[in-house]
Amino acid sequence: MRVKSNLSRRELLASVASAPLLAGAQSRPARPKIAAITTTYFKYSHTQHIVDRFLEGYGWNGTHHHPPMDLVSLYVDQIGDRDLSKDRAKRFPSMKMYPTIAEALTLGGSKLAVDGIVVVGEHGRYPRNEKGQTKYPRYEFFQEIFKVLRSSGRAVPIFNDKHLSWNWDWAKEMYETAKELGAPLMAGSSLAVTWRTPSIEMPSAARVREALSVCYGGIDSYDFHGLETIQCMVERRHGGEGGVKSMQAYRGENFWKAYKEGVWPRNLAEAALCRSHTLKPAREGFNDIMPTIEDMQRLVKDPVAYRYEHEDGLKSTMLLMSGLVRDFNFAAQLDKGIISTQMYLPMPDGRTTLANFFSPLVNGMEQMFLTGKPTYPVERTLLTTGLTAAGVESLYRGQTRYETPHLSIRYQPTRESTFWRS
Amino acid sequence: MKRIAVVGSIYKYLSHVQHIADRFLVGYPVRGTWHRPDMKVVSLYIDQKPAGDLSGERAKEFGFTVYPTIAEALRCGGDKLAVDAVLIVCEHGDYPRNEKGQILYPRYEFFKQCADVFEKDGRAVPVYNDKHLSWSFEKSKWMVDTSKRLKFPMLAGSSLPVTWRLPNLELPLGCQIEDALMVGEGGSDPMDYHALEAMQCMIERRKGGETGVKSVQMIEGDAVWKAGEEGRWSKELLTSALSRSDTPQGLTVQDGRTQDLVGNGELPKLVKNPAAYFLEHNDGLKTTLLMLNGAVQDFNFAARVRGAGVKSCQFLLTPVPNVTYSACLVDKIEEMFATGRAPYPVERTLIVSGMLESCLTSKLEGSRRLETPHLSVRYQPPKTSQHAVA
Repeated sequence: MRVKSNLSRRELLASVASAPLLAGAQSRPARPKIAAITTTYFKYSHTQHIVDRFLEGYGWNGTHHHPPMDLVSLYVDQIGDRDLSKDRAKRFPSMKMYPTIAEALTLGGSKLAVDGIVVVGEHGRYPRNEKGQTKYPRYEFFQEIFKVLRSSGRAVPIFNDKHLSWNWDWAKEMYETAKELGAPLMAGSSLAVTWRTPSIEMPSAARVREALSVCYGGIDSYDFHGLETIQCMVERRHGGEGGVKSMQAYRGENFWKAYKEGVWPRNLAEAALCRSHTLKPAREGFNDIMPTIEDMQRLVKDPVAYRYEHEDGLKSTMLLMSGLVRDFNFAAQLDKGIISTQMYLPMPDGRTTLANFFSPLVNGMEQMFLTGKPTYPVERTLLTTGLTAAGVESLYRGQTRYETPHLSIRYQPTRESTFWRS
Repeated sequence: MKRIAVVGSIYKYLSHVQHIADRFLVGYPVRGTWHRPDMKVVSLYIDQKPAGDLSGERAKEFGFTVYPTIAEALRCGGDKLAVDAVLIVCEHGDYPRNEKGQILYPRYEFFKQCADVFEKDGRAVPVYNDKHLSWSFEKSKWMVDTSKRLKFPMLAGSSLPVTWRLPNLELPLGCQIEDALMVGEGGSDPMDYHALEAMQCMIERRKGGETGVKSVQMIEGDAVWKAGEEGRWSKELLTSALSRSDTPQGLTVQDGRTQDLVGNGELPKLVKNPAAYFLEHNDGLKTTLLMLNGAVQDFNFAARVRGAGVKSCQFLLTPVPNVTYSACLVDKIEEMFATGRAPYPVERTLIVSGMLESCLTSKLEGSRRLETPHLSVRYQPPKTSQHAVA
């Protein structure tokens, strides 16, 4: 895997260095100790979904699975009114809470004392910037983590929930530093690993002309999920991922104009909608009916599209259509026809009580903590982090085309599928 | 273009008639496209018209006629059968219950009126019957026997056998099933029927196919937990089935945590009135349905298969209002209307109709074990998978 970008001389030297600076990731303990570094811990927060699965176990492969590792330390940045961390620490005395990230990683000592780190920087009260990005402190958390790894002379695997950072430069630095230190890094969304209906994979080395997802939610949030929905599929195309050269966002009236003019293939949007389980009925008295574009205009108040062009010519489009669907649907035009599926993400407090799409995500982390090797390439999430920021940037610049030479991120997918099938 | 008569109980928003018949009118999502059947609904009989009835406005918009009798609907007002297929959807509406708690939907009566027209007019066409055939096995058997006698294809049953499965599990044809367990929830007799049919579509694939059921017993309350302790149903299979659930109640609702509901001892607290339906098949297979209202809100299956261990899945009931699982069912109905061949045997629904009736009889008679020689329904499963996979 190789990342082409405008690296500084120092970064370049680091990235071409043949051996990592730190030791440690090579030999793995039989039962790893894990630290969780989180923003906040309340019911249905990402921390709750992830950390609870380590503590309580979860349904996996047809049984209640307990991860073969111990989550021994927890840092929570914001303890709010609905906090569950204290309850969890009380019920699971093997997990201690620490007031700083460094202490969580050293278990109160002077050296790194865990074998794997889970970073969950989602939810909690953090400011938004003028572009609409929530400044979750993932980069800041990583800075603290890197300090401990450096001072301890040991690197361990790190999982980062969702995108690496709202800030592309920081995300790149997180990626480069982990690489420099020899810390195996994984990141991303449940969308790439959850059930699919139908349970299909992009055929290996497929020739993909266009790819599209129809999703819901807002920018710098669910757009990232919609981008991961696309990326986990298109990275399997002929040649693997070659990076993205430009981004164009559409919103409001521009979105509908582009939709009507066929800026993205309407047949792919319809194919994706046919995979939805939540298509909003456009007519009273009907429960399941294909909407016209006029119906969609009435139902979707704030539509957003990110359309981007990959280095090899593939064009991808992520559509956020809140009000029309409440799920994540994918379609692609291949040389040999259209394929489509839904990445199944039934949000709790409605359809479900558990967010079981976190189960394959946690299982992927477990595998990395056991083997010391990322279960799937972090370059996927490096790219979708950059795409999320680029989409937001294009919107911020008045929905103008935004060149993305910094997203010349090349990587190859895993040979085996890593989404939930068992 | 095939002409369809719809015979229904009520046509209200979110009634089964609306879910199913509308898909023939406005199309439905299947295999990644919005499919519009090359068929036309030409006539409708609707038994009850409560507030919110949509039959009149649908007839006007889609150009068909509502007739006052089933015979007139099938003959489109003329004197001979004038349709190519009949869709009977008798679910929802105001009908009495009997002492076993069964809702006395007049499916047999609707079907019989259709069969009378076929017989008098000397022509029979394919019939789909939604859900179980009749609350009475005797009547159900008459329905199936009549379809054989008059030589028309017949399909029946629930959406559960044809919906998505998580994971996409199909037991191998001819496998040896050592034990099987289904977990369901909801009221009797609608929801236990769905659960029994979901289990049946899995176990019918075992070696030899279905051989019939020789005895049933339904128990309730603490006796259900006691039966588990005594090994009458498998805790391992229950753990496996519940590991597939997206809807555990209790502590999960309270604070979001995952739970091993069997291991953590919460089940008896959550389920005030559990019910176990024990079925003993003629080939020796014993299967169990546990209705665990209060524990989960989805339908999950587990089986121990010789040489393959425990296999389990959730039958995905996609959300209201779309209930896209009914699109999977309409795809099968349309296939039969188009080809004249039922994609899976109506005997599956026949035996499940009978199992349910006998289980409810057992409950009424103090949960005693009942011999069920009348349920020696033998059939072979379809060779190809019929659930949503593409």
